[in-house]
Amino acid sequence: MTLEQLLADTKPVLLDIQQRDLAEIEQAKDWQAKYRVLMQLGKKLPAIPEKMKQPELLVKGCESRAWLMHYHDKATDKHYFVLDSEARIVKGLMAIMLCLVNGMTTAELCQFDLCHKFDQLNLKPYLSQSRGNGLTAMASRIKQCCK
Amino acid sequence: MPAFDVQQFRQQFAFFQQQPEWVYLDNAATMHKPLVVIDAVTQFYQQYNSNVHRGAHQLSQQATILFEQARSTVASYINARHLHEVIFCSGATAALNQIAFGLMHTVLQPGDRILLTQLEHHANIVPWQLHCQRHGVIIDVVPLTADHRIDLVAYEQLLALGPKVVSFSHISNVLGHIQPVAEMVRLAKAAGALTVIDGAQGIVYQQPDMQQLDCDFYVFSGHKLYGPTGIGVLYGKTEQLKHLTPIFAGGEMIDSVSFINTSFNKLPFRLEAGTPNIAGALGLSAAIEWLQKYNNEQLVLHKSLLLKEFYNGLTFIKGIDILSSSVHNAGIVALNVDSEHPADVAELLNQQQIAVRSGQHCAMPLFSYLARPGAIRCSFAAYNTLDDVNRCLLALEQTVEILTA
Ligand SMILES: Cc1ncc(COP(=O)(O)O)c(C=O)c1O
Repeated sequence: MTLEQLLADTKPVLLDIQQRDLAEIEQAKDWQAKYRVLMQLGKKLPAIPEKMKQPELLVKGCESRAWLMHYHDKATDKHYFVLDSEARIVKGLMAIMLCLVNGMTTAELCQFDLCHKFDQLNLKPYLSQSRGNGLTAMASRIKQCCK
Repeated sequence: MPAFDVQQFRQQFAFFQQQPEWVYLDNAATMHKPLVVIDAVTQFYQQYNSNVHRGAHQLSQQATILFEQARSTVASYINARHLHEVIFCSGATAALNQIAFGLMHTVLQPGDRILLTQLEHHANIVPWQLHCQRHGVIIDVVPLTADHRIDLVAYEQLLALGPKVVSFSHISNVLGHIQPVAEMVRLAKAAGALTVIDGAQGIVYQQPDMQQLDCDFYVFSGHKLYGPTGIGVLYGKTEQLKHLTPIFAGGEMIDSVSFINTSFNKLPFRLEAGTPNIAGALGLSAAIEWLQKYNNEQLVLHKSLLLKEFYNGLTFIKGIDILSSSVHNAGIVALNVDSEHPADVAELLNQQQIAVRSGQHCAMPLFSYLARPGAIRCSFAAYNTLDDVNRCLLALEQTVEILTA
């Protein structure tokens, strides 16, 4: 498995999440329904092979381990991401973050307000510092990619 | 004595009236405080607030008397020989740091050994590691048996290496297992080692008797005994406290200071640098006095009934991997849902307003031994009810259902 393959496999999944699953989460009747969708998101994303999970890819600040790979296509100035996590709900929430920014240009990524968007999706509670789920860490890691 | 009435007990905790929808099973992390404790803290600030041991005025004298009475309450609760054997500090972590730091070069010389166990909290590992590395002291670790208890055969073998200090927990903060501390102290003493007991979880299970247990040091935090945060106790035998080099200096701990030499005040003040947590000490004392109105055996029995009900209910839920044994258990159950990450399980319980802790619980060496990424931990207190147990079981069932859908 190469990064190119992973990116190629991840891209359509993130697109699908953005186009279909987000709406489903917003419309979920109860928390159970919302979490069922979240768990499915995690399952849809291709896993990063063990060999590729280098320590520098670890997103610090998670109780469960999560890995983020980033690729900047210089020709088009677009940013692409690959993600994995030991915990499925965390992976689902992180996938939502990624689907919002995947394929953005540097300028778009810099301007994008992840927290605001999370709020709009009624997912803000998951961003609080006190939750050891690493979403805040993931958000700042994503932001760093435009530096 | 009348039967234990959990509703009467629980009513004294304003928290449960404020947050009736929550099932609080994170008692091993910190406990709720009864109103008498909150009142004692408030009352100090409203009526007596003054610094201790220093004012020329009557208010300070009054605060000093209250503070020293608190010391006396603690001393008699744990049956210390002398009042000065109770050192107030910020908690178990601070106490263990003081002991590890304080024994270097007085008791512990380069090349000496100390003995810890595989299931210690980081607070009973890292302070030792920090100072042992710098001073060339060797750390040995007692392994566990197949049922995750301290291996007493290995313990005796390691004691034969002649450690100067042995430090272990009274009750495992992850598994809830009660260690045979009396036996372990006896064996350590026979081998000539000083004994340190991390009573952070033990103190609420059992009123420890220092003279009977005969350990050299016993430490605990007030907030795990219905008391406030930021107050704790380092108990030490007089002759061993004398070996401790103070980790903090300044304030009342000093007798005379010049730039040539400083001489220290007597115990307990020598080990209580700076202004102590006066309100905290009064709160802890109020907690102990309040707790003594109850028969501890009844509280323990109530918790064991909750535990029994919980274990029983768990057998009906598919795919639960229980790490804690139900025998000699003080009321803590660490568990996982098969092949699911504990963070996911805890998050789904949180959605159902069940407060548990998840992760490695500041005991990474234990989890590497258990070969698990972590666990969720349900820890029970005497104010928990059968309803709490049942709600937790139902929530776990729902969690498993969602995770395995
Ligand atoms: C066994 C044990 N030791 C030490 C500590 C540290 O206590 P504190 O954080 O109150 O200093 C804890 C608290 O979690 C504990 O459970």
